[in-house]
Amino acid sequence: MTTPENQKPLNNLFILIALAVVFCLVPLVTQEAYFLHICILALLFGALASSWNLINGYAGIFTFGHQAFFGLGAYGSALMSMRLGLSPWLTMWAAGLMSAALGLVISLPVLRIRSIPHIAIVTLAFAEIVRIVCSNLTDFTRGELGLWGIPPFTSFLLPLVGDVTFDAAHKVAYFYVVILLWLLIVGATYWILRSRFGFGLRAIRDSQIAAESLGVHLTRYKTLVFGFSSFLAGILGAFYAHYVLILTPSSALGIDIMIQIVAMTLIGGIGRLLGPTIGAFILTLGLEWLRGFGEYRMLIYGVLLVLIVMFLPKGLASMRLGFLRRQTTGKIPT
Amino acid sequence: MSMISNPLLETKNVGKTFGGVIALKDVSFSVSEGEILGLIGPNGAGKTTLFHVIAGKEQPTSGTIEFRGRGITALRPDQRCHLGVARTFQIPQPFSQMTVFENVMVALHFGAGVHARSLEDEATDILSRVGLNRWASEESVSLPLGARKKLELARALATRPTLLLLDEVMGGLRPNEITEIMETIRQVRASGVTIIMIEHVMRAVMGLADRIIVLHHGELIAEGSPAEITRNEAVIEAYLGGSAHVSA
Repeated sequence: MTTPENQKPLNNLFILIALAVVFCLVPLVTQEAYFLHICILALLFGALASSWNLINGYAGIFTFGHQAFFGLGAYGSALMSMRLGLSPWLTMWAAGLMSAALGLVISLPVLRIRSIPHIAIVTLAFAEIVRIVCSNLTDFTRGELGLWGIPPFTSFLLPLVGDVTFDAAHKVAYFYVVILLWLLIVGATYWILRSRFGFGLRAIRDSQIAAESLGVHLTRYKTLVFGFSSFLAGILGAFYAHYVLILTPSSALGIDIMIQIVAMTLIGGIGRLLGPTIGAFILTLGLEWLRGFGEYRMLIYGVLLVLIVMFLPKGLASMRLGFLRRQTTGKIPT
Repeated sequence: MSMISNPLLETKNVGKTFGGVIALKDVSFSVSEGEILGLIGPNGAGKTTLFHVIAGKEQPTSGTIEFRGRGITALRPDQRCHLGVARTFQIPQPFSQMTVFENVMVALHFGAGVHARSLEDEATDILSRVGLNRWASEESVSLPLGARKKLELARALATRPTLLLLDEVMGGLRPNEITEIMETIRQVRASGVTIIMIEHVMRAVMGLADRIIVLHHGELIAEGSPAEITRNEAVIEAYLGGSAHVSA
């Protein structure tokens, strides 16, 4: 990275908008439900991993309990829309705020810890508590039986476009909603990085003692980013609930979600704007593509992960930069 | 020795223990506005610990610290920074994944300054003052030691301090770079900043300081002008181990 972050990402903004346009054009080419489903999951996880990248890649706080906020958003929005009869369009944001509130509460004890492994284990334990509580509150969540009967997003009439219908057969509308959510989250990250807030976060990541000596209020910034990141995860959880329409504690709150987030972020590029999105597409589409290999699928998948992490420790998003760097330093004899 | 009528910073009976180890014992001194105070002493004397206590990284076990007549002992490091206390770290703490320019931007964003110009212009200005402009767009992890020391100084200056604590900023610099940084420090003082400097490079501390205090085993053992300190028997005994060649 040889150009300051506040000057360089103009490219990133361009790539971000170009990607969003390309995604928007996909349904014009194919509306095949299975393909769109895979793309929706890839974008959903790309956005979720991006929300985690904000707290881990930019603020350097290695949390391992992001699934708690995703699951709380999912269950929160599902239950609010079912019990209170509210539109998912409303409950989605309310669920995001619930996740943010929980994030703020849990951040207070967690962020006093400076050791990375301890933060990881404490946040994981917290997420497991949320999952176990959820699976035992059977009167409320139906526990392991699964919460079904979740209403899909309310259909509406969009001027010029016509009826926008959300049901299992109409994935196009969901696809556009997830593009918007993804753009919202990656766009917010882009904006944060260029702001004073972003400078504070990256300073905390690189040296907490230097950051506080230069005037950064550590607790305030860490709490804010934790709350905001939880908010985003909660909204994505809500989308997930009103998309798949059935939730179980392990599908919405399981540690598998966290492992996926970490793998996607590492493969795509931690602390890079589009890294998590790239990782999400590689892993989601890659796993589908590898179905042809039958039983060898997970083996090949594992080997690929190891190779990428070994040879591209900064992720796939760093490839272009690595290439450029080699060109510029190539003239200097080593 | 300059007047102590108007102390900017005053430590009163500051003590610091780590477990059973006494790092600082009953340290009382003050710095006047506009002064350059040298802080010297053998390795392990407690100099950096004293900086930690003044800047807020460590809480003193006993005693108080006053800045502009106000008790700051209970304040966090960032609050002290906002009041105008800036420090450099003996072991440089660059924001390693950020460029040199961005490192300075952090200090400009969060420091005590009120900015008339754009932060980018100020950052460029500060980098040229310390001679780092050619490194501006380098990731700071790639800097050699000398440049890292200068970056520490640049960031501290960017917070617009009233009191600047310099912890061995000359260490690892070449002789011509030392001369440059000495000139920079003179200019900083001329702009109204009070400085306390820990320094092992005798040419620098003797050439810059108005007054020197000497710390040994956590206690202040001497205070005086550079000339007085070079003649002080206790200092020669403790700090120089008997050798009298101070003004190298």
